[in-house]
Amino acid sequence: MRFVSFRSATSVLATTALLLVATAPSRAQTRAETLRYVTGASVNTLEPNIPGSTRESFALSMSTYDRLVAFGRKQLNGKWVFDLDTITGELAESYDVSPDGLKITFRLRKDAKFQDGSPVTAEDVKWSLDRCVTAPILGKAQLLTGSLTSADQFKVIDPLTVEVTLPKPDKLALPNLATVYPIIINSKLAKEHATADDPWATAWLKEHTAGSGAYVVESFKPGEQAILKRDENWNRGSANKPAFFKRVIVQSVPEPATRANLVERGDADLVVDLQASDVQSLEAKGKLKVISTPQYNAITFVSMNNQMPPFDNVNVRRAIAYALPYDDMFKAALFGRGAPLFGASWPDGKPLNGIYPFQQPVKLDLDKAREYLKAAGLPEGFSTTFSFNVGQAATAEPMAALVKESLGKIGIKVDIQKLPDAQMSTLINEKKVPFFTEGITAWLPSTDYFYRNFYTGNQRWNYSSINNSDLEAIAQAARFEPDKAKYEEDGRKLNAIHFSEMPQIPLWQPSQDAVMASSIEGFTYQFHRLVDYRDLSRK
Amino acid sequence: MKTGLGATLLRAGRRLLSSLPALFGVLVFTFLLMRVLPGDPAVFFASGPNAGKEEIEQIRKQMGLNKSVPEQLVFYLSDIGHGNLGRSMMTGQPVLKDLRERLPASLELTFTALLIALIAAVPLGVVAALRPGSLVDHGVRLFCALGVCVPTFVSGLLLIYVFYYLLGLAPDPTGRIDVFTSLPPQRTGFLSIDFLLAGDLEGWWAAFRQLILPAVSMALFVIAPLARITRASMLVSLGSDFVRTARSVGLSWRKVVVTYALRNAILPVITIAGIVFSTMLGANVLVEKVFSWPGVASYALDALLSSDYAPVQGFVLLMASLFVLVNLVVDVCYGIADPRVSIE
Repeated sequence: MRFVSFRSATSVLATTALLLVATAPSRAQTRAETLRYVTGASVNTLEPNIPGSTRESFALSMSTYDRLVAFGRKQLNGKWVFDLDTITGELAESYDVSPDGLKITFRLRKDAKFQDGSPVTAEDVKWSLDRCVTAPILGKAQLLTGSLTSADQFKVIDPLTVEVTLPKPDKLALPNLATVYPIIINSKLAKEHATADDPWATAWLKEHTAGSGAYVVESFKPGEQAILKRDENWNRGSANKPAFFKRVIVQSVPEPATRANLVERGDADLVVDLQASDVQSLEAKGKLKVISTPQYNAITFVSMNNQMPPFDNVNVRRAIAYALPYDDMFKAALFGRGAPLFGASWPDGKPLNGIYPFQQPVKLDLDKAREYLKAAGLPEGFSTTFSFNVGQAATAEPMAALVKESLGKIGIKVDIQKLPDAQMSTLINEKKVPFFTEGITAWLPSTDYFYRNFYTGNQRWNYSSINNSDLEAIAQAARFEPDKAKYEEDGRKLNAIHFSEMPQIPLWQPSQDAVMASSIEGFTYQFHRLVDYRDLSRK
Repeated sequence: MKTGLGATLLRAGRRLLSSLPALFGVLVFTFLLMRVLPGDPAVFFASGPNAGKEEIEQIRKQMGLNKSVPEQLVFYLSDIGHGNLGRSMMTGQPVLKDLRERLPASLELTFTALLIALIAAVPLGVVAALRPGSLVDHGVRLFCALGVCVPTFVSGLLLIYVFYYLLGLAPDPTGRIDVFTSLPPQRTGFLSIDFLLAGDLEGWWAAFRQLILPAVSMALFVIAPLARITRASMLVSLGSDFVRTARSVGLSWRKVVVTYALRNAILPVITIAGIVFSTMLGANVLVEKVFSWPGVASYALDALLSSDYAPVQGFVLLMASLFVLVNLVVDVCYGIADPRVSIE
């Protein structure tokens, strides 16, 4: 007999194929009550305060822990987004701010219980907030922005009342308590696992949840998946009933094309980090629900190091601002999915309002760019590098190519540098990158917050390394400005300085494209830019 | 002359000992390499919206980076001596635990892929060698060329597109097991074996279905070298004197080709299979990414991108040890395939 082995090989293949055909997918009946959310990132800790926590860990903690208060939601152009101005009680049944703005009193829900059944008391709240401002964890730097810095500020009045005192009436104190970090922990349980080296039980909490949140962690594989089970007693949702989904599966799927396939086939219910091109085609097919929300607390920039020649010359920065091919970049990088921050018209040459981020009156105008270059004394142009990190390559790569081409026309020779993420952040921290693209986000997007954090000081987030004393003084003063009209006026001044100094060039606010099964309802764009599973339900 | 088994074991032991300095070298080299690479892990991991200098310093301390490099090396070596590979910033877990959980996934995938590749490649090579220059030979050559030309992630995505997206035959390409299936008690870490041990055939089937697409896309890539080497060495052995003799005494076709020619031709195939296996284990990162396979290669790549030192060092050490092991196994296989090798 000839070709013996060949034939056996074919038969192996044939059997395999047959077996594949024969089996239909077996699904548990609870599929409709399960939310399967796939993401390119991953959850790496159950406690969002641990240094190194990923954003998915933040999002997960929103559902496994409660905070004292939460942000409300509002409709913006027909889409639900979080509302910074409405703060509702979560563990607090109600709260009062004293007339002088120096005291906030929280009254806790009487029926709130931790997931182990013990009641949530003022002691737990005090311990948790103390921990947040004392322990070496991420919450410390965040709460600082709301004038919450010391354990002395939190006082137990009675078992269900907590009082927070502030040194100054700070607008951001209350919103800060609704952010990711100030989770309320079951202090009795946590203390059992505290050690002399680790009095705040940080090591234990990393892998265990001791909260009162809507979901209990059923299984957790760091970097792969987390499975959550609904806590039937949780009633902090809007209608005093538990969250809708009985189970939530948060699964890491690194390949974006695979995520797109999964949601299109209906195997996954929701994904928020697809490539713009995939979103475009899924939207065109019309089978799925696509909710695109411009991320109004995120901004993408082309940034320049204002301390480094030739970018220390304002005319060079202006030349760049008029030499960027904005429209082409917007289309190539984002497929136009987002809100542009270029191409505004300022009739009287002044900012239209005092809100940051704002649309700048710049557009591609090579003649103007050449004039500015001449004014800078560099009519022949110069050479520089344009850097971006690998993690952003999908959007930054086409953008970089367009920047290079367009700047080439006014004599600026650009070399594109694609850097590994860790290397890029190190270089930025050391202020060694002349010309690059980066993005910023703020959980509590207010004008003064943006200017204080991203335009002052010799620190990492001041990407452009701008050092402008006027800007700094106005931004610091605006922080505690109680009068709305004056605050608005300060904002206008800041925006005017931004435009005239052109420290960096805001490009756009990319959309968050949430792609979901058509049966999913209630999706809300959250400040952490990921999904709050508690918002969702199925028709 | 010693007995075959004894000699093989002796050789294996000697090999193992002589590989220890190399392993130590790898250890130190990786350690230094990671620190020379640009990129400060502390800055990268302190990326919270408000992380400042204080957070960076704290992470540096946590990772032990506040000490001098020689000091760090001493601490690292003593940790390794105690079986502690450090902690990953990325997953927040001890590296040893991460690797222990992920290695079986990679091994299972690689073994299956290698098995598929061998089952396909050896017959293809033999058939091609039996009729060199024929249409069959050219067909095999074309198939191999295609397999090598198409990068694994492209073939992976294509397979997903056809079998999952279009036909709906394959399960969703997300890891080792359907999220709705419960896992068997962990014994070997190889799901296909654990399910069998637990007597859960349905589970085994679920795991097998997840495994087959990534394994095939990996196998496609390595069929070529295996088939080519089989063909070449079959040609040599078919043209040799003992095959001519065997033919002339009228032995059956099967006996001539399989027993005499193939057995003599298989040595280089085993060598190549060993090398292919080691390469696959480290290089299957693309397949792991495409199929969300929770293996060690994608783990190491993620760690490398974020300059997470401990996992990368742990991974390289693991790979080096595996390489030593695979070479040992290849040596032992030699002895079985060709007893002359054991004679010293």
